Amino acid sequence: MTVPLLEINNLVTTFHTPAGRVPAVDGVSLSIERGKTLGLVGESGCGKSVTAMSILGLVAAPGVIEAGEILLRDASGGVLNLVTLPEPQLREVRGGRIGMIFQEPMTSLNPVFTIGDQIAEAVLLHRDVSRAEARSRALEMLELVRMADPKRRLDEYPHQLSGGMRQRVVIAMALACEPDLIIADEPTTALDVTIQAQILDLLADLRHRLGTAILLITHDLGVVAETCDDVAVMYAGRIVEQAPADELFAQPRHPYTIGLLAARPERSGPALAGAAAGSRGAGRLRTIPGMVPAPQHFPAGCRFHPRCAFARLPECSAAMPALRELEPEHLVRCSYADALGAPRRMEGAEEIA
Amino acid sequence: MTQPLVDVVGLETHFPVRKGLLRRAVGAVRAVDGVSFSIGRGRTLGLVGESGCGKTTVGRSILRLVEPTRGTVRFDGRDVLATGGAELRGLRRQMQVVFQDPYGSLNPRMKVRAILEEGLVIHRLGNAGERLERMTRALARTGLTAAALDRYPHEFSGGQRQRIAIARAIVIEPDFLVLDEPISALDVSIQAQVVNLLVELREQLGLTYLFISHDLSIVEYVSDDVAVMYLGRIVEQAPAARLYAEPLHPYTLALFSAVPSVEPGRRRRRIVLTGDVPSPARPPAGCRFHPRCPLAEQVCRQTEPPATVIDGHAVHCHVAARELDLAGGVAAVAAARMAALMTAAAVPAPPPTA
Repeated sequence: MTVPLLEINNLVTTFHTPAGRVPAVDGVSLSIERGKTLGLVGESGCGKSVTAMSILGLVAAPGVIEAGEILLRDASGGVLNLVTLPEPQLREVRGGRIGMIFQEPMTSLNPVFTIGDQIAEAVLLHRDVSRAEARSRALEMLELVRMADPKRRLDEYPHQLSGGMRQRVVIAMALACEPDLIIADEPTTALDVTIQAQILDLLADLRHRLGTAILLITHDLGVVAETCDDVAVMYAGRIVEQAPADELFAQPRHPYTIGLLAARPERSGPALAGAAAGSRGAGRLRTIPGMVPAPQHFPAGCRFHPRCAFARLPECSAAMPALRELEPEHLVRCSYADALGAPRRMEGAEEIA
Repeated sequence: MTQPLVDVVGLETHFPVRKGLLRRAVGAVRAVDGVSFSIGRGRTLGLVGESGCGKTTVGRSILRLVEPTRGTVRFDGRDVLATGGAELRGLRRQMQVVFQDPYGSLNPRMKVRAILEEGLVIHRLGNAGERLERMTRALARTGLTAAALDRYPHEFSGGQRQRIAIARAIVIEPDFLVLDEPISALDVSIQAQVVNLLVELREQLGLTYLFISHDLSIVEYVSDDVAVMYLGRIVEQAPAARLYAEPLHPYTLALFSAVPSVEPGRRRRRIVLTGDVPSPARPPAGCRFHPRCPLAEQVCRQTEPPATVIDGHAVHCHVAARELDLAGGVAAVAAARMAALMTAAAVPAPPPTA
C-alpha cells in the first residue's frame, strides 16, 4: 500500500453550544491515496460535512478541532498537519493544493463578478502570473470542464448561467491551480438527474486525465456506487463501515449500511414477498425504525443500537464497538458483524463476483 | 369503464412575464402547456420530471392553488375550474395536498392541535368532542399519539413533521391527495417509513393519489400509472410496470439511464444528454425535446408530435410513432430505441477501477 495523500487520524471536532458539548465528529480516521475517489456517505447530522470543513480549517466558532491530526503529503515526501498549520499557510492549501466544490453553486460564486474574473482570481491568489495569463488559464479551465461557448462565458455573470453550468464553473475554479485533492460536498444534490449525470461524468473524466484525488461527500448511495473507489459510511459522528465500493455494495456488513441499501425499492425485493411483481405498493419497503439521533443525545454503546434489527448482544448497549477489519480492507464497527454469519451477499452480487 | 375520479383535459397554466413601469405582460412562462390525464378512484398516478417541467404546477392547478389558463379539470364529475365559493370549498374538502418541505408547510407558531383543527373548522366538521376524536384518529393513523396535539412543529423531527402534514391532509377525510415530493426533504432511512405509511393509508382509506416526484424508483413502487413530463407537456404515459420495462420516448430513456444505481449490473448503460432544459418562456418549436434529442430528425424540429397509443401506452415522439407503425410491438421498438440511443449519445462506462 502506498503512502496516502491525505490521512486523517482520530479527528474530534466539537461544537460548544449553550445547550452543551456537541461532538459532531467523534474520532474519525480516513485516508485517500493519490488519484483515488473516496465517498463519505451518511444522513444529515452524521458529521460528514464537518469532517470536510475540518480538513479545510473552516470549522466556525463555536466549533473546534479538539483532537486528531490531518496530514497532507506532497510528492516529495513533505507532510503538513492541517490541524496545527497557521492560517496564512492554510490559506495557500485551500484553493491551492485542495480544491472545493459545494452543493449550491450560487453560494460559491460572487454574483457581481464575471466568471472569468472569478476563475482568474483563484489563479492569481496561488500563482505568480500576470492578469493576462490568469485570464487565459480561466479560458483553458472552462474548456476543460466542457463549457459550451467558453470565450463568451468568460464575460458573463453567474446569474446568466444554468445550475449545471454554474457547477461547471465551480469545478473549473476548484481545478484552476491543479490541486492534489478536491473536496466535493454534495456536488450534484441541487441538480436534476440528467444534469447530475453530466457532472459526475465530467468529474470521472477529469480524475482520469488529471489524477486528482476526490473526497466525495453525499447522502446518495447510487452516486457513490458510480463514482467512488472506496466508501466510508458515517453514522452519528463515527465511521461505521469502510470498504472498497464494489465490496461494500456487494457485501454490506454493518446493519446500518444493510438497512440503508434495503430501504430502497430496487433493493427491497426480498421484503416484497407475497406480492405479484409489478403491482404497485406491493409488500412494504424495509425500514430502519426510529430516527437519526441528535449529537446531544447520542445513545451509549453502539450509537446505532436503538435502531438496529440485530442488536441483541449486551455489549451493543454497553460499549462503543471498535472499527475492526473483518476482511482485508473491509472495516466494520459492529460487535455483531461476525455473528451475522457468512457474508450477507445481496442479490446480483454473484454475477460480478 | 367507470368514471375517473380526477379527469384533466388540455390543462394550461401560464404565468405572465411582466416588465416595465406599467408591469405590462410581455410574455408568458408556459409552465403547464396542454396536459391531459385521468386517475381512477383508488388509483395512483405518478408524475415525474425534472425541476421546471411543470409537475408541481399541475398539482397546484388541479387544486386551484394557482389558476389555470385553459383546460378542464373534473373531480368526481364536477368541473373544478367552473366552481367558486361554497361549492369550491366543498370540493376542496375532498382534495388535499402534502408538500415537500415539512419545515415550511407547518406554521411554527401553531400547535399541532390548531394545525389539524383548522381544516375541520373551515369545513364545519363535528363539534369539539368529535373534532378531538377525528384528530386523534388521524394522528394514530400516521403513527403519532394524541400527546402530539399540544406540541409545536419544531419539537418534531423531519419525518414526524411530514407525518403531521399527512395527518392534516387526512383529518377531513378527503378522497384525493396531491403528494408533491412528499419524501424528497427526508433522510434516506426515513423515506421508506413515510412511503410505507402512504401506501398503508391508501389501502385503509381507499385514497386516490397524484404522486409527484423526481425519484423514479419510488414512483415505480407507489404508482399504478406513470406520466413523464418535459417542459410543460407529458411526453410519455403508461402503466408503471410497462413504462419502466419498455420506455419509448428518448427523454424517458435518458432520464431512467441517468439515475445512479447501486446495482452493479445496471451501472453500464448511461445516456448523457447534452445541454440544459430550455426556458418554458420560449419553448422550442416542434417537439420540445428535439434540441437535446440524439435521434431528432427534420420533422421533429417542425411539427409537434401527437400521441401514439398502443395498449394504454402513450408516447409523443415522431420517431417512435414511425417505428411502432413498422415493427408493431412495443417491446421490439423499446429495444431498438435503446440501441439507437446508445450509439448516438452513449458515453462508455468508466473503466473498472483497479
